Amino acid sequence: MELKRIFKALRVAWAIGEKDIRIYYARPGSLVFGILFPFSMFLSYIVGRNVTVAQAIPILVAQTLFFASSSIGPITIPLERRLRTFERFLSAPISLITVLVGKTLAGFIYGIAISVIPILVGVLVFNSVIVDIFALVIGLLLSAFCFAAMGLMFASIPGQHPGTVMMPMNFVRIPMLFISGVFIPISELPYWGQILSVFSPLTHTIELVKGGLGGENIFGGVLNIGILLGYLGLFLFLGIRFHIANQKKE
Amino acid sequence: MSVAIKAENLTKRYGDLVAVDHINFEVQKGEIFGFLGPNGAGKSTTTRMLIGISIPTEGTAQVMGFDIRRQSVRAKELMGIVTDVSNVYTQLTAWQNLIFTGKLYDIPKSERESRAKELLQLFGLFERRNDNVEGFSKGMRRRLCIAMALMNKSSILFLDEPTVGLDVQSSLIIRNLVKKLNSEGLTVFVTTHNMEEANQMCDRVAIINNGKIEAIDTPEMLKSAIKKLQVIEVSFVGSNGDLTSELKKIQEVTDVTKNGDKYRLNTENVPQALSNVWGFSKKKGLTINTLNTLSPTLEDVFVELTGIQPEIRPPKTQRGQD
Repeated sequence: MELKRIFKALRVAWAIGEKDIRIYYARPGSLVFGILFPFSMFLSYIVGRNVTVAQAIPILVAQTLFFASSSIGPITIPLERRLRTFERFLSAPISLITVLVGKTLAGFIYGIAISVIPILVGVLVFNSVIVDIFALVIGLLLSAFCFAAMGLMFASIPGQHPGTVMMPMNFVRIPMLFISGVFIPISELPYWGQILSVFSPLTHTIELVKGGLGGENIFGGVLNIGILLGYLGLFLFLGIRFHIANQKKE
Repeated sequence: MSVAIKAENLTKRYGDLVAVDHINFEVQKGEIFGFLGPNGAGKSTTTRMLIGISIPTEGTAQVMGFDIRRQSVRAKELMGIVTDVSNVYTQLTAWQNLIFTGKLYDIPKSERESRAKELLQLFGLFERRNDNVEGFSKGMRRRLCIAMALMNKSSILFLDEPTVGLDVQSSLIIRNLVKKLNSEGLTVFVTTHNMEEANQMCDRVAIINNGKIEAIDTPEMLKSAIKKLQVIEVSFVGSNGDLTSELKKIQEVTDVTKNGDKYRLNTENVPQALSNVWGFSKKKGLTINTLNTLSPTLEDVFVELTGIQPEIRPPKTQRGQD
């Protein structure tokens, strides 16, 4: 009986995710915050620098994964609140958790779909070699879930415009780029920066992707996976709690 | 007849504000129940609690026998909900909107497809099923919204302002569809500002004001209960001068207003007042030209109970200064 209920919830969550994919993936907000933003930041980072493709590809992959996965929740949830389609979920015979899992799925798939592009370009055009498929795949999957859950958590900020959520989220996302080995390699960070970098989930995404593509991994795969799993749990827990608290205020 | 909705001490507070204050009412299965009230009276908050969007601060309600707090999923399985805005996905087609709703209710594929087809035909949208809703008129979106609410073969339909902002033809189509569905056994809980709509559609109505229910009854019983609003309208052949002050002296007449060549006499006892007006005309040698009795409209009842003018006053129910 319990299993039947779980399968039903998963089917409904998938339906919500699938609908979001159909409606929101090509919306200007998703394209700007999920694709254009990370690509332009990446270009501003590599232009004029002596960065090899082997160094650049993992950063581009991690950055697009980070921005794309975390953008879908903050775009779809405020918009659905504004159009009052979110009420359809609340009045349907499903739990709020099912809705949030569906929204997380949409972010997860978006992140994976976008980040696979630079990997393919790296492998097919620049002859990048995947040396550790496990590290790469687990890095992509875990990170996409983790950042989609992060977006979901921020989407609990009450508001009916994506900007209301995006602005505070970017206050967190952009500083993370500086302590996660995106602009400055972790080994070149000051000591306090190196300590902080351990606590940034993006650090561990870059580490795993680098490891997968034959680059150096400072902290080791086990710590990378552990930290990403920890953040995934934390973001999901807080996101669900915040959304439930919001519903109680309705 | 058994109970479809039973609200018990249903209360909603937002901080110090009591939006809904310990209300109790029952809706019977198979009836169209109107929920009327001015803006901010608590009708939307009540509806939102009944459909599970908002959690009651105190009290509870049962919908089709299921407690909305403890068995909300079971209750929601039997509900169809149409909010005051047509919250359809405009980037999807009519067909996709219905199919998505079917998926939300976990209806098996073949069943949801046949149900979607059946509803699109019933609501006159089948020919446009593959068009994006973005290009639909307000009336078509409203019809699609109601169709989506019926995807799960709901036993009770919650309609919030079903015809607001629609043209006359679309309003008529929707009212007729709702009546048809009701005649097939669907219970309907309708929130509306439109008194004429409530008068025409509802078996019973509740009037809510300041979070409290002021009255619940059939429209006709509510009208007859407001006796002081009953009016006799009389005009005399060739009467010269203003007879207002003299008509006021007639027993059982509580007030008189002159409207053009007609006088509107307020009374709480229509038969006796009619007899007295007849006697007055004989005594004064006046010939009665027209004599009508006007019952109060539901709108009059609303205004009387809430002290607030409703937003929509259809011209044919407008009255003078009585």
